[in-house]
Amino acid sequence: MKLTRRQLVVGGAGTALGAALGGAGIYELVDRLAENGGGLPRRRAGGAEQHVVTLDKVVDNGVEVLVPPLHNEVVTATVKVDETRAALREAREELEAALLRLEDEFAPEPRGLHVTVAWGLPYFNRYVPSLAEKHLPLDLRATEARGRATRALIDSIRFPSDPDDLILDENEVAVFFRSHDSEHVRAGSKALFDDLGGLFGATSIRRGFIGGGFEGKQSLPKQMAMAAGVAGAELIPDTAQLFLGFTSSQKNTMGPGRIANHETIPGLTDQHPDGYFRGGTAMHLSHIFEDLEAWFLNFDFSERVTTMIRPETSVPQGTQTIAQTEEDAASADDVKRDAKRHGAFGHSASLQPASRLQDAIVGNDETPYPKGTAIPQRADFDTLDNPFFWSSRPDVDRLSDDPAAGVHFVVFNPTSDDFHRNRLAMDGVLPDGTELEIDPRGRGAGFNAVLNASHRQNYLVPPLRHRAFPLSELL
Amino acid sequence: MLVGLAFAASACGGSEDPPAEAAVKTPAKAECPAKWKADWQKLADRIEAPVYCPSWMPDPLDGDIDGQWNNINSVDPDGSYLLGWTWYEVQSGELHVNFRGQPGNAKIPTCQEVETEAGVTRRRKVPCFADPSGTKTLGEREVKVYTRNRGADVWHVLYSWEEDGTLYAVSQHVAEPLTYAQVVESLDRITAGLVRVDPAA
Repeated sequence: MKLTRRQLVVGGAGTALGAALGGAGIYELVDRLAENGGGLPRRRAGGAEQHVVTLDKVVDNGVEVLVPPLHNEVVTATVKVDETRAALREAREELEAALLRLEDEFAPEPRGLHVTVAWGLPYFNRYVPSLAEKHLPLDLRATEARGRATRALIDSIRFPSDPDDLILDENEVAVFFRSHDSEHVRAGSKALFDDLGGLFGATSIRRGFIGGGFEGKQSLPKQMAMAAGVAGAELIPDTAQLFLGFTSSQKNTMGPGRIANHETIPGLTDQHPDGYFRGGTAMHLSHIFEDLEAWFLNFDFSERVTTMIRPETSVPQGTQTIAQTEEDAASADDVKRDAKRHGAFGHSASLQPASRLQDAIVGNDETPYPKGTAIPQRADFDTLDNPFFWSSRPDVDRLSDDPAAGVHFVVFNPTSDDFHRNRLAMDGVLPDGTELEIDPRGRGAGFNAVLNASHRQNYLVPPLRHRAFPLSELL
Repeated sequence: MLVGLAFAASACGGSEDPPAEAAVKTPAKAECPAKWKADWQKLADRIEAPVYCPSWMPDPLDGDIDGQWNNINSVDPDGSYLLGWTWYEVQSGELHVNFRGQPGNAKIPTCQEVETEAGVTRRRKVPCFADPSGTKTLGEREVKVYTRNRGADVWHVLYSWEEDGTLYAVSQHVAEPLTYAQVVESLDRITAGLVRVDPAA
């Protein structure tokens, strides 16, 4: 049975925000397919960060794997508050109170509800431009490289492999809800975007899921893709964590602890020791369509492995979790050598010269981080949105009721430029400026040939203490 | 309006109707239609080995080797044959079905893959059929299913089976407007209805 999103949106309210927030639409299937986590409400135990979440671990194929929350939702919005000190103060108090109420109801962890509030440049430019000029973190590395002051939050760019019709979003705020229980996610988004009544004007709702396939059970991506009848669903391995068939959340490929904070890597930004945004991070949010038939019918298993990881990587047929330790991290020279020898570079390998520490460091949090440690903290999840679950401007966003396989890519990096360096490397533009002579959308460029980004934007995630309308208290 | 298309190495597809009708129904006694049989018999005689004539093909294709939709009819000196039928309509899609046989040879054929990056051309020999994904029994034969195929079967789902030391295969292209599942249904029906044609003594 093939389901359309419209058939499943409660009351057919595909364009009504309230119904969209409350209704699960096709994602009601997730509730039926997944075992929701439950768990007792508990207040946040401490920590300065919004983006750091403690995840359970499992071991798969001898590799430690973090278990991301099964259910995910991002709501993007504009702010509907007068540009006055009093109005902003009221809004700040209202939002913070709502966030605290959510923390009273649900523990801020995967079994409860983890909420991350991120702010876009349009917010800072409209409400607190002078304060932003003074307090937004300065990206010291990017400043030196560009020869001009570059903030840790900058506009997103189009990358070489992006399609011409990519939309660069201009949202003022994005709130990321994560939980093993979809009801908690729904309650969270309703509390902030419906119950608060008028603080925000939602621009998009983006929903999805990840995992559920450990212990041999059919995973959510497989079940959801089959139920929705998306092209190529039958080809997804039964237990795949994500549509493309590989496990993405190995412990070694996720930045540990506070490494993605603005201030942790010495010399990267000006936030250590006492920057306003210390404990914060940069977030990139994009939506990417995935052509599953192209991936599974045009790449055999060994090609999918070498495309995803690195040429010459060889694992037994059907392996989904492939070890990528610090020692395995590819250097820029490795990637150049691969490109020359094979006319190709692997997706993971191409990223590593930018996404892994090139030397061991002791972070400003006094934690030793070995050479090869991953920096970004990814939180991407699969989706059937096309491209969103709901949009305030369906024509502009090319909203469709037909389910489409894709990924809502969410990642936390210390700065926007740091993400850009990673993403450019994925297209063969290495951190040292080398541009590999490989078509960034071709078969040789990782799995770019089966990806098609539709939307992108960078955000800044303030620390917990400033998560509600950052800088406005200084007005 | 239907428009025929010269064979391109990876072409195939079809209208909405064929797959809906393509539920696996094995005729009580499948027969090679009389209009097509003479050509299949000629092929069997020429290669001196049995061949498999389809009793059903997805509309509008047929199994007529001399018909309007046949655009691949290749027989090598060793008797290996490749037959292909393609239908294509602008903005609607395409259907493409291939049949193969290689008398006395049960090995998966080898394809040469050629990739050029930055002016450097790399060639490598790879199996033409890859990513085995199980077996299924259709009619009287058990077939192996391959999902990553090369050469004339690029982007096809392919079923192969061995008989008397000969490898046979039938494949269909996964392309708009057909989904993978619809192509599998179609292939199931084609394969279940295959009729063996022996060479004349």
